[in-house]
Amino acid sequence: MAVIELNGVTKRWGDVVAVEPTDLRIENGEFVAILGPSGCGKSTTLFMLAGIYAPSAGQIRFDGAVVNEVEARDRNVGIVFQSYALYPNMTARANIHFPLRFKSVRPEEAARRVEAMAALVQVGELLDRRPSEMSGGQQQRVALARALVKEPGLLLLDEPLSNLDASLRLTMRGEIRRLQRRLGVTTILVTHDQIEATTMADRIICMSKGRIEQIGTADALYHHPDSVFVAGFIGSPPINLISGDAANGGLRVGEVGLPFVGAAPGKVTLGIRPEAVRLGEAGHAARIGDLEPHGRETIYHLDTPFGPLRALEAGAVARFRVGDQVKIDVERALVFDAGGRRLGDTIPPRPA
Amino acid sequence: MTATLATPLAEPVNDWARLAAKARSRRRTTNVLLYGFLALGALPILVPYLWLFTVAMSGRTGASTTVLWRTLAVLIPALFIWSMLRLGMEPGRRLRLIEIGLAIVAVALLVVLTGPYLHLDNWRFLWNPDIADALKGVSGIGAKFPSVWTAFWNSLFLAFVQMTIVVTVATLAGYYLSRFDFPGRSGYMKGLLVLHAFPAMTLIIPIFLIIYWIGLLDTLAGVILVIAALELPFAIFVMKGFFDAVPWDIEMSAMTDGASRRQAFRLVVLPQVRIGMLAIGIFAFLRGWEEYVFVRTLLLQKQNWTMSLYLFWMREDVMGTDYAMVSAMGVFYVLPSILLYAFTQKYLTQMTIGGIKG
Repeated sequence: MAVIELNGVTKRWGDVVAVEPTDLRIENGEFVAILGPSGCGKSTTLFMLAGIYAPSAGQIRFDGAVVNEVEARDRNVGIVFQSYALYPNMTARANIHFPLRFKSVRPEEAARRVEAMAALVQVGELLDRRPSEMSGGQQQRVALARALVKEPGLLLLDEPLSNLDASLRLTMRGEIRRLQRRLGVTTILVTHDQIEATTMADRIICMSKGRIEQIGTADALYHHPDSVFVAGFIGSPPINLISGDAANGGLRVGEVGLPFVGAAPGKVTLGIRPEAVRLGEAGHAARIGDLEPHGRETIYHLDTPFGPLRALEAGAVARFRVGDQVKIDVERALVFDAGGRRLGDTIPPRPA
Repeated sequence: MTATLATPLAEPVNDWARLAAKARSRRRTTNVLLYGFLALGALPILVPYLWLFTVAMSGRTGASTTVLWRTLAVLIPALFIWSMLRLGMEPGRRLRLIEIGLAIVAVALLVVLTGPYLHLDNWRFLWNPDIADALKGVSGIGAKFPSVWTAFWNSLFLAFVQMTIVVTVATLAGYYLSRFDFPGRSGYMKGLLVLHAFPAMTLIIPIFLIIYWIGLLDTLAGVILVIAALELPFAIFVMKGFFDAVPWDIEMSAMTDGASRRQAFRLVVLPQVRIGMLAIGIFAFLRGWEEYVFVRTLLLQKQNWTMSLYLFWMREDVMGTDYAMVSAMGVFYVLPSILLYAFTQKYLTQMTIGGIKG
């Protein structure tokens, strides 16, 4: 319903830069997640889009038109806050109806829309309750209905699932995704939870310290991260990051030498995904330091010639015990320079 | 030796009942001592009110002291027996019946012992403004007293208008202080605190002069403005605390939902601070209702008398004060305050002065 563009959008609070100049384009009907740790500027970006904060520089465009000076109430944006921000003095019905009070909608049409939207998010029978009489999940649904009832051009979700318990979060994740597909509304989700971002969004914008680190699909961010930050932020269990040195057209990490061309002499960081570490009969000698059974998979903590490594192996039953000597083989390693940018990939050689 | 070994160290299980009884009696003793102490502490506060009331109902017959003692002689044992019953018996139908019986006996005793002395003669000021005639002396104010109802409506008007001003201004100012940053904001906040701590009495002469110069001397409007100004610093502080407790999210949400800032304030924020407005409203009302110093200073004509001035002149102005009538007037004066507290204490106890952010 709307194409969102950011051209050099910046936000400064005094001398502190909350969001560095940012360029971004979000297509009509797309579901985009802004992912990053707290304080990375993701909520600030969201509030600039909503019109609550004014950008310090740059332009925000909705369908090509600059909206920097348009007030929040005229932007036709729906927003769901982390706290839901339901109006405690109003019933669910009045809450959902609230945005329609400021539109020229006939009363019976408004009532019909409120009912329809409530039914869509499955709170039809709760309409006469107040927020204090509803559970967190129900409040969440009401907040969603309120954001959607005016048919916004842009739906903003600010950490909408972080106050829900684990199982409800799983349910709501699917529901929000389905709802978004059905209504086709352009949606931006702000979250610090990588699972939320990867499971719900078409594209993920990974932010750190007010800067966009990488934009891409969940797959791209996982397998081809541009930086150590993205590699470390995405993936659970997290990627193994080991520091090493580059010299003489190769790398040295721990006791292992790796072939790699293109690294300037100096410090490098090697990133190895836990599932890229294969436990078997051949390869580098390693010892099982500890293991965590997770049901359908097992995480091994290994002492290896590379240094300590986490390895992930599928299978309900652990094949090894603590203290066992095993052989490991590393399928793929990512190489990052001292500044954290990715230089490329390498395959560590298998010892004879 | 074998006999002592055969005796188990732990007490037998059937002694649990004895232990429970012991715990019960200990709890009961604690309660008796606690309530006794509290009742004793409350006595010096309650007896003067009782005295005021008995004198108002029985004064000038020479029996008011007798009435007070007899009332106490009935009430204190009745209350004592009642608390013993409450502590000693399980709640139920039987206790209820005994309580009702006790109440009937106490009321009957009161009627028999004090009934003959009670009369409404001291309340005649309510329907006969010419109270001076009935008194021993001659009115020193040189003319008839105004009707007490004039003073009543004056006080009511003063308290109500003052309350309206305080609630309106404090709500708007509290919101602004809570939500907006402006140069000198922290200085303003400190100023509010200093103003609240400042003894208003020291201002009485400058205030008199200012009110005189602007031509509001001897008008209710002048007094209303002065009292409202003195009440405002504290009220603003309280309201700022209430607004601080309302999350920003709600306002932002209202504005993205299409409301203007003013609509968001009116529809969403204001309902969250109703308790605060009610609280400062009640305090402002009572302050206006009980005001004495400034009305005494700034109001001169009889038509402008408030309740406190009426009480003052009733006591002051006649030779040989009729204390019984002064007491009746006192009861009449305090009644609205007590009623207001009784109906609103539920809300007032919910009031906490929110965290003070810089």
